[in-house]
Amino acid sequence: MFDPKDATTVTNDGQLLLAKAKNDQVETVWDRHAAQQPHCGFCEMGLSCRICVMGPCRVDPFGEGPQKGVCGADADIIVARNLCRMIAAGAASHSDHGRDLIEVLAGVAAGTAPGYKIREVEKLKRVAAEYGVETDSKDLLAIAAELAQAMMEDYGMRQKELTLVKRAPAARREIWRKLGVTPRGVDRETSEMMHRTHMGVDNDATSLLLHGMRNALSDGWGGSMIATEISDILFGIPTPRKTTVNAGVLKKDQVNIVVHGHNPVVSEMVSKACQMPELLAYAAEKGAAGINLVGVCCTGNEILMRRGIAMAGNHLMTELILATGAVDMMVVDYQCIMPSLGSVAACYHTRMISTSEKAKFPGMEHREFRPENAEEQAVGLVREAVENFTRRGNVYIPVEPAEAMGGFSVEAIVGALGGTPAPLIGAITAGKIRGAVGIVGCNNPKIRHDYGHVTLAKRLIENDILVVDTGCASVATAKAGFKMPAAAEWAGPGLREVCGALGIPPVLHMGSCVDNVRILVLASALADALGTDISSLPIAGAAPEWYSEKAVAIGVYFVASGVYTVLGPMPPITGSMKIVKLLTEGLNDVVGAAFAVEPDPEKAAVLLRKHIEGKRKALGLSSLVV
Amino acid sequence: MKEVIVHPERCVGCMQCMLACATAHSRTRELFSAVLEIPRPKPRVHVGVGLYDEGFPNRCRHCNPAPCQMACLANAISRDPAVNTVLINPDRCINCASCAMACPYGVIRFHEDAVAPPGKTVAVKCDNCDERRARGLIPACVEICKVGALTYEEMSAAMKRKTDEVARTVSVCAEKGPLSPGFALLNAIKKAQLTT
Repeated sequence: MFDPKDATTVTNDGQLLLAKAKNDQVETVWDRHAAQQPHCGFCEMGLSCRICVMGPCRVDPFGEGPQKGVCGADADIIVARNLCRMIAAGAASHSDHGRDLIEVLAGVAAGTAPGYKIREVEKLKRVAAEYGVETDSKDLLAIAAELAQAMMEDYGMRQKELTLVKRAPAARREIWRKLGVTPRGVDRETSEMMHRTHMGVDNDATSLLLHGMRNALSDGWGGSMIATEISDILFGIPTPRKTTVNAGVLKKDQVNIVVHGHNPVVSEMVSKACQMPELLAYAAEKGAAGINLVGVCCTGNEILMRRGIAMAGNHLMTELILATGAVDMMVVDYQCIMPSLGSVAACYHTRMISTSEKAKFPGMEHREFRPENAEEQAVGLVREAVENFTRRGNVYIPVEPAEAMGGFSVEAIVGALGGTPAPLIGAITAGKIRGAVGIVGCNNPKIRHDYGHVTLAKRLIENDILVVDTGCASVATAKAGFKMPAAAEWAGPGLREVCGALGIPPVLHMGSCVDNVRILVLASALADALGTDISSLPIAGAAPEWYSEKAVAIGVYFVASGVYTVLGPMPPITGSMKIVKLLTEGLNDVVGAAFAVEPDPEKAAVLLRKHIEGKRKALGLSSLVV
Repeated sequence: MKEVIVHPERCVGCMQCMLACATAHSRTRELFSAVLEIPRPKPRVHVGVGLYDEGFPNRCRHCNPAPCQMACLANAISRDPAVNTVLINPDRCINCASCAMACPYGVIRFHEDAVAPPGKTVAVKCDNCDERRARGLIPACVEICKVGALTYEEMSAAMKRKTDEVARTVSVCAEKGPLSPGFALLNAIKKAQLTT
């Protein structure tokens, strides 16, 4: 009999390592997902409320049982409050990541962050100028100090609006102003959201969701954007470079160190330590041919984008990478690190190290990284990883690595186009490229691993739609081979021609999940060049395998910025059909974009193509019937 | 006579019935203290997982004739016709599992229990909350179910309601729609997730 639950992953390394994990009796995310079935329908529909202790409450979706919580909140209010708290948690996560980078920038300026430095002087000056910091007659460290201070102020609430909101097209800012959703302070909007969703505060679903947009915008045009900009200033603006991907990037004869998490503050220092001659000599002494640093998840994307460091896998691969038995040390910072990893590693010789004061895990040793000690900590850890190399048991690296190209920052894309977005606009206007789609987001055991990302990317490029991607999606398409210039042969004739002329792949890696803001910046540049708003462009977003609260915040800031966005898994909102309608239709009249939900990537591709051809028609460009 | 009736199309899989059942069959009858009891109380109703991850509350049908009763050589299983309930006497049970082999629904479990002799593993299954009903309460699984997937009512009333539901769908100008559009949408998406 057909059993849909047999479907786990489309990746070759994933299937082989999952079999190895099963054989080693390692419990994985798929086992735990199966054990959780059936999921609670109240929770899946957003109809359970744990906000106060008059409850917990739930509403009967069939209309006969309780229709209101103890406080009197109906299904619409409960669903809206729950969704809004997800947005707040997502915005808080990205934005707190950004804050940590500001602290490093401030540390560099004060001389208390040895090992970190300003790598991109021009970008520092450019961003400082946006913040109104005078740059002509000052030395670099003074500019960095003032910029860090100005960015910190964006987090507070003394602002009328966030500084980087200015980067959005004028028409878009006017929409936000009229709706009253212009973000005022990064922390302020999250804090206000927690206030509004307390019992007895905001009990109007529409009003709650409007603030949800403002909260998400405080992430997209605030916390996340600050995170990306400072990362570029401190660690370099990504430029196209070759790398390798999948579990095959682990090396049998080398010390393997895996970095996992999101913030480049830790992974960059580990990367630096891995190149130190004395540590390489120490590795040789222990019988290793070298020190092989690789990444998983988004901190892996950060160092892939800037250094071409190899990428072992995305979210659902993190347990399986350990099952190779080849990882001598995994160093984690925060976000998306499954608390199961310590117990997986316990089956092998792998040493697990947590580094953030904010993020501790069972079965991991804690070595705290702070700006002032990061360099020293990293050197110590790499030395210990080398020592652990000698304790390896059996090693199983089932595949050869695939080649990929990463590093497509906005600066790099515009650079590849010859310094202006005009050639891209020309290709779109001529219809060679129909439009562009950002495929973003996570993995989720509810969707066959990487199937959503890979299938969607394939269908879009076949139809001459340029794909840009970030986060776990970008790892999926890289493993499938879409990130080599040769992949242009899988694209439609128009996109193939453009990719061939520029020597770029049809799927461009734009970075980690905070780097989704690069897509906003690129979309704004295109809109400005055409003298229009983002919502008029033939572009769209998709999150085929999303799972996290951060993805909710990203989805909402994309839609609020005017980008039609197709989700794979259904968010917990079906308890209120009013909210489903508002998010999938009503928002079109408010911000000129809305959500759709379609777990089948084949059908999602059709929705995206229809949308893009519709936008082309409205712009007076050639359009196809989909 | 009222009976517990299962409406699988309404089950949202929250598993509250399992918690309530275990609590009702504990010594202390309070969730917070029940989890500390030895032996740990266990539910008699079990929520199973369908092909598309939907829930289904699987409980004893109190069959008549009951295969478990016919299979029990120790005479531990009897029927109380007054309340249409098949009961297991833990003192007579010899833990041979013949009843479980005979049961077509897999609802009989074996473990120590608050009402069994201490240290003795016995066959345990739904008793229709006879103890609660003696106190004027309805079965615990029904009381906790907020979606109407488990009801406690006269069989004839349930039959009439279902008959009327069917009749309404063939009325001229009938509005044909799911019981809950949101729940139907959720299930459609879940099915699509699993089959793609």
